[in-house]
Amino acid sequence: MNVVVDIADYAVTAEAGASLITYSLGSCIGMTIWDPQAQVGGMIHYMLPESSLSPAKAKASPAMFADSGVPIMFRAAYKLGAEKKRMIVKVAGGSQLLDDKGTFNIGKRNYVMLRKIFWKNGILIDAEDVGGSVSRTMRMDVNTGRVTIKNRDGEREL
Amino acid sequence: MRNAQDIVDQIGSLPPLPSTAIKLMNVLGDPQSSVAHIVDAIKYDQAITTQVLRLCNSAYFGLSRKVTSLDDAMVCLGTIKVLQLVMSVHTSSALSKEQHGYGLDPGVLWKHSVAVALASAVFAQKTNLANANLVFTAGLLHDIGKVVLNQYVADEFVEIVRRVSDEGLAFCEAEQQVLGFSHEEIGGMIGRTWQLPEPIVLCIQHHHVPSALETPDPLVDVVYLADCVCLLFGIGLGEDGLSYRADSAVMDRCDLRESDLESVGLTVLDELKRVEQLFATTPSAACKQPAVH
Repeated sequence: MNVVVDIADYAVTAEAGASLITYSLGSCIGMTIWDPQAQVGGMIHYMLPESSLSPAKAKASPAMFADSGVPIMFRAAYKLGAEKKRMIVKVAGGSQLLDDKGTFNIGKRNYVMLRKIFWKNGILIDAEDVGGSVSRTMRMDVNTGRVTIKNRDGEREL
Repeated sequence: MRNAQDIVDQIGSLPPLPSTAIKLMNVLGDPQSSVAHIVDAIKYDQAITTQVLRLCNSAYFGLSRKVTSLDDAMVCLGTIKVLQLVMSVHTSSALSKEQHGYGLDPGVLWKHSVAVALASAVFAQKTNLANANLVFTAGLLHDIGKVVLNQYVADEFVEIVRRVSDEGLAFCEAEQQVLGFSHEEIGGMIGRTWQLPEPIVLCIQHHHVPSALETPDPLVDVVYLADCVCLLFGIGLGEDGLSYRADSAVMDRCDLRESDLESVGLTVLDELKRVEQLFATTPSAACKQPAVH
């Protein structure tokens, strides 16, 4: 089954044969987690780094923000039997406009916030395809943990 | 450049916007016009009046009584809301088709256009823009040039992307070099062919580099920022992606901060979901399926 993860949303699943997919990543970040032993996979598509921008929206849709969404996704995966030490983490997105002065740097700040959260929690990123100015589609096969990224240059495994 | 004349010829063969839409835009562009003028511009178009009334009576607006006339609709929902509906309906058929050259599935360009229109209206309010009536339509039509340039971009896609990747060009600069025109230039020409009000044509034509205008134009600035927000948040994003130049001077001119862009993005995402539901549940609307990119 294909599960489409919308902007400001996340999904975790232990369903055999499931695929998680998210489209149209601009400056947003798509992140996948996979526990090969528990066969649990998760994906989030968050928009912005910090929920302090709108606590009300963060309450309604925690996956809108990195700081409210990422912990919630990890906890949901733990409930399905995943464990932090086995988790394989992959990251994509964080694109930017062609910018000489760093005015519209949401993509970069989104990525920096994730690194900060991971550093605090002792989580390593296994693979990433971040930055540039392309639109990306991210897909994960929950059986194999295989993650692919598609952009205008084609599709490749991450 | 061999395509240049072909491309210009295509502009003429593009189905024009309904005359009601053009009339309405001209009424809106005239600071002297009143609600009565606006109703006059629409009311003789039976098809659009029926559609507007159907949309007004949909569950989306949750009105307690049935709206039966345009005057009534303007009283219940406000002139701006009704006008936004009229223009969204008018542009949906022109913008809903697949644009494969840009990697846009059916409905995605319309989704992007509506999002930019909504964001333009929010920015207009934030910056106290005087001519806010036109800005929604300018946002709706900003990418109309893509409809004509689509096939040519598809044919030269590899070369355009090579110039973007290897030479650091913006996508529209690469279009200009390879095809002789960028989608904004073509959009501007379409706007003039359709005799749209000049402020709208300016927005279409300069929506990627507003600071290139000799005299900065607040309407163009607002549409530019709205487009940036939608590109950043991936709303109706195509294969051109975010390969456009950031124009930081606009932020200074509008006296906005990055957090303003972020909050506009959140607002627009909410509004867009509501509009998509509205059009998805109204069988008469041309865009029956909201864009599932």
